[in-house]
Amino acid sequence: MAKLKLALYWAGACGGCDVAVLDVNEKILDVANLADIVFWPIALDFKYHHVEAMPDKSIDVCLFNGCVRSSEQEHIAKMLRAKSKVLVSFGSCACFGGIPALANFSTRAEIMERVYIEAPSNENPNKTLPQTKVKVAEGELTLPELFEDVLTLAQVVPVEYFVPGCPPTVDLILKVVNALATNSLPPVGAIIASDKTLCDECDRKKENKKITKIYRTQEIIPDPERCLLEQGLLCMGPATRGGCGALCVKVNIPCRGCFGPPPGVADQGAKLVSAIASIYEAKDEKDIARMVNEVVDPAGTFYRFGMSNSMLKRKRSQKR
Amino acid sequence: MKKVSIDPITRLEGHGKIEIFLNDDGDVANAYLQIPELRGFEKFCEGRPVEEIPRIVPRICGV
Repeated sequence: MAKLKLALYWAGACGGCDVAVLDVNEKILDVANLADIVFWPIALDFKYHHVEAMPDKSIDVCLFNGCVRSSEQEHIAKMLRAKSKVLVSFGSCACFGGIPALANFSTRAEIMERVYIEAPSNENPNKTLPQTKVKVAEGELTLPELFEDVLTLAQVVPVEYFVPGCPPTVDLILKVVNALATNSLPPVGAIIASDKTLCDECDRKKENKKITKIYRTQEIIPDPERCLLEQGLLCMGPATRGGCGALCVKVNIPCRGCFGPPPGVADQGAKLVSAIASIYEAKDEKDIARMVNEVVDPAGTFYRFGMSNSMLKRKRSQKR
Repeated sequence: MKKVSIDPITRLEGHGKIEIFLNDDGDVANAYLQIPELRGFEKFCEGRPVEEIPRIVPRICGV
């Protein structure tokens, strides 16, 4: 069999997904036996014009990580879509917006102001902001346009598969590699992770106890055997797809939902609100008000990785 | 003036491009490094609980 042609790209991302691919360690040799890598900015020196010159559908599989937040990222997403037979939305940013989608709680103008003018490490007396076109003595320089919203990959182009996780675990990456090697890819649209919630793969004891207080993580040392939510810590487990191996909860840290909503759940945050409401001992309005106050940053916690993909999408803008 | 674009810069964490302008003799007249990406951690970390920050900022760079 001819070797597969594989591309990997990062849009609005941190590089953690790319490193996760390298975390397969010696199995990377299996990947090298299976595929020729034709584009991978973190590791190989291919330029955009090389990809541009490839015939359509000449890349067998493209693992695309990172959110789409700029005209350049949208352009590359469309280009890689056209050049790839199979486009995989790889990692939480590409699938749900990820951590960068927390920017959807601010406007683009607020972000620019903070980053380039207010931030204390800046020295920018002329309050210069990045421009899409700038004339310099030698000619013109261009920068991509920053969009108002952080988008997922699938909000920009059609995608065949989703591999969630911040970053996707080695097990899931090998699952993808094996599916490619044996030509046994799942039906288009599949999310390559568990079909259950994180709670289903968490082996902590659940006692169906009600809670009377929500704690911040530094306020208690949780019992390592018992359900974190039942100890009053906000854990996204009931609202999160499994498949990560319960990495965070195994080290006594509550889940923040990087695998996105489980099957059948349209909105991860709403699902967690419903889970908390059913576990919190609230006898009257006063208890409910106390519960609401105990959640310090509800939107930033319940939509930690999923703002772009949520029903909210972004903070409702003031009149512009 | 002739322009040579190196886009993207590869084998590093993050996004960058280099524009090199050449004069009539083919020598470098000037070169510019540009960063065509912004996520805005400086802004969206504001308002997050302090105990959550160690779980957010590692995503500045995951390499």
